Amino acid sequence: MAWVAARYAVRSLRRNARRTALSVVGIGVGCALAIFMESVNRGRDELFARTGAESGSGNLRVVPAGWRARRDPRLRLADWQADLAAARALPGAKVVTPRARAQVLLAVGTHVVSVEMVGVDPSTEPAAFRFVRQVGRGRYLEPGERGSAVVGKAVAERLRADLGDEVLVTAVGRDGKIESAMLRIVGVVSTGSEEIDAGICQVPLPDVQDLTGLPGAGEVTVILADWRATDAARDRLAPRTAKGDEVLTWGELSPEFRGHMEQDKAASRFVRLVILLVVFLGVASAQLAAVLERRREFAVLAALGMGTWRMVRLVLQEAVALGLAGAALGLALGLPVVWRFSTAGLDLRRWTGGSFAFQGVLLEPILYGDLGAWIVPFVLAVALGATVVASLYPAWFAARTDPAAALRVAQ
Amino acid sequence: MNETIVAARALAKTFQLGKLEVRALRGVDLEVRQGEFLALVGPSGSGKTTFLNLVGALDVPTSGDLVVLGRRIAELSRAERADLRLGSIGFVFQAFNLVPVLTALENVEFVLELRGMGSERRARALAVLEELGLGDLAHRRPAELSGGQQQRVAVARAVAARPRLVLADEPTANLDGENAEVLMHLMRDLRDRHGMTFVFSTHDPRVVAHAVRVVTLEDGRVARDEEKAEEAPHEILPGIGKAPEPPRG
Repeated sequence: MAWVAARYAVRSLRRNARRTALSVVGIGVGCALAIFMESVNRGRDELFARTGAESGSGNLRVVPAGWRARRDPRLRLADWQADLAAARALPGAKVVTPRARAQVLLAVGTHVVSVEMVGVDPSTEPAAFRFVRQVGRGRYLEPGERGSAVVGKAVAERLRADLGDEVLVTAVGRDGKIESAMLRIVGVVSTGSEEIDAGICQVPLPDVQDLTGLPGAGEVTVILADWRATDAARDRLAPRTAKGDEVLTWGELSPEFRGHMEQDKAASRFVRLVILLVVFLGVASAQLAAVLERRREFAVLAALGMGTWRMVRLVLQEAVALGLAGAALGLALGLPVVWRFSTAGLDLRRWTGGSFAFQGVLLEPILYGDLGAWIVPFVLAVALGATVVASLYPAWFAARTDPAAALRVAQ
Repeated sequence: MNETIVAARALAKTFQLGKLEVRALRGVDLEVRQGEFLALVGPSGSGKTTFLNLVGALDVPTSGDLVVLGRRIAELSRAERADLRLGSIGFVFQAFNLVPVLTALENVEFVLELRGMGSERRARALAVLEELGLGDLAHRRPAELSGGQQQRVAVARAVAARPRLVLADEPTANLDGENAEVLMHLMRDLRDRHGMTFVFSTHDPRVVAHAVRVVTLEDGRVARDEEKAEEAPHEILPGIGKAPEPPRG
């Protein structure tokens, strides 16, 4: 172990304490900003992924063959019970719920509304679809009940209907005939978004089956405990579903939402890159100045037989020491901010008003930062990465010093 | 007859300083044998430092042939020359050139560490410092040492790895007469006890007096090559290192 070289590297940083301190502050502030940005990104990803998944799409959805191309709500799974069982047996599956959809006309008196009615399992649906967790007026569907409906506030208003009113539901049946049924409104949901309220109409699954004459379910929606495991979970579930049925991820279900998330992440990455670049240039400049000041010393070391790579390693050791100090400062500065942000959150309504929607998905208005064990390796990677890479050129410059210069200067 | 460790034939070195071509060496023929205590003398610009740089594998000749410790310098890569220096050649510089942030002991230890020496390097470095009368000053940094002490540390650093060849460029130029005398006695003693070869450049006639062989360079050529009868082995001046010199300034 090169202990003397390590001591040399660390003590060299003390030669110009002011420059070293400025470098450490630069790295520390950069690291703190990078931690904060990463915390925001992770929190935003979590918020978007969770609220997106719980706004109907789920993290995974088992769909019938052909659904991906046609998106036809009348398509049904080959064996929905088998798919449901396979999804429930999936490790990491938090919520699994079946659904059957039908395009219907709702009518009360002379008022008519076209809506996509969703047949659900009332025991699992609220965990998968967050807008029906807190019904504004009335109640949600109960397991085993029939002939009841929960509708969005906008639907109720357009129908001029209220709690307890009966609604005539008309749909195209299996053989093309018009089928109809009477349902009673038991709950009215108010999400704060008229667009979303206008699309909510949930009834017990058997009611949709009876109305359309199409047995089974059109989808099995899965919400995972960890949304980051979506692809792995899809790979595990796909071979266990009924033949012909297909497993789609939330990104495949909502490519526009995913695309906007990716754009947002790209913008964040750009900001992080700018921060890193500023740190990088600051460190490179300081390290190059430090090497230039000691050019003669490096020439002497070369004369004593220190080879190119040893010299590079020597300068990089200084960079590592600088990076570690910067990382420690970055943690000291960044952790309190991230902790505050992860516990109190950031209320987006200050900027967006009452509701905050992104690509048609109503998001929760409080954004919480992510605080986890990732911070330590992250800040070390940022600090050491920036300082070591920034020191490569100064290190190479030092290593290429002409050793003959030492004696020539001394003459 | 001792083994020849430096053999220069028609050795020439030319520097390009802008448009000006400086012929520092113009055909030096010289052999140095193992165990010699050789002084290079000559006026400024005569090529002493250039010759030492070439022998020390710090630079490569423009023409001619130079073989040092069996290696033809012109044929060595930069890395091979660094290895040759590290393994077999020690340097003492006029301006001492110790690493200021390391103690005397660490300065010596550093070279041993570069050579890959393991746990015994600290003991070896301390032993060499004690041999040069610097045992009590081992943990001082260069700024806490006098010029004479610093140059003795530099000598310790040069000889710690027991190189076969030690090159010293004007080693006494920054020392007063007394310290110069002490340093020459120490170098001569090291040569006598360990069989190292010392080649040093100097202007100082008192230093030249210690040399066994004196080579005079003039205009990049060997003008004179005088060998004196070998004297009895030198003894280290009594009291060296026993009472540390006060720092200068």
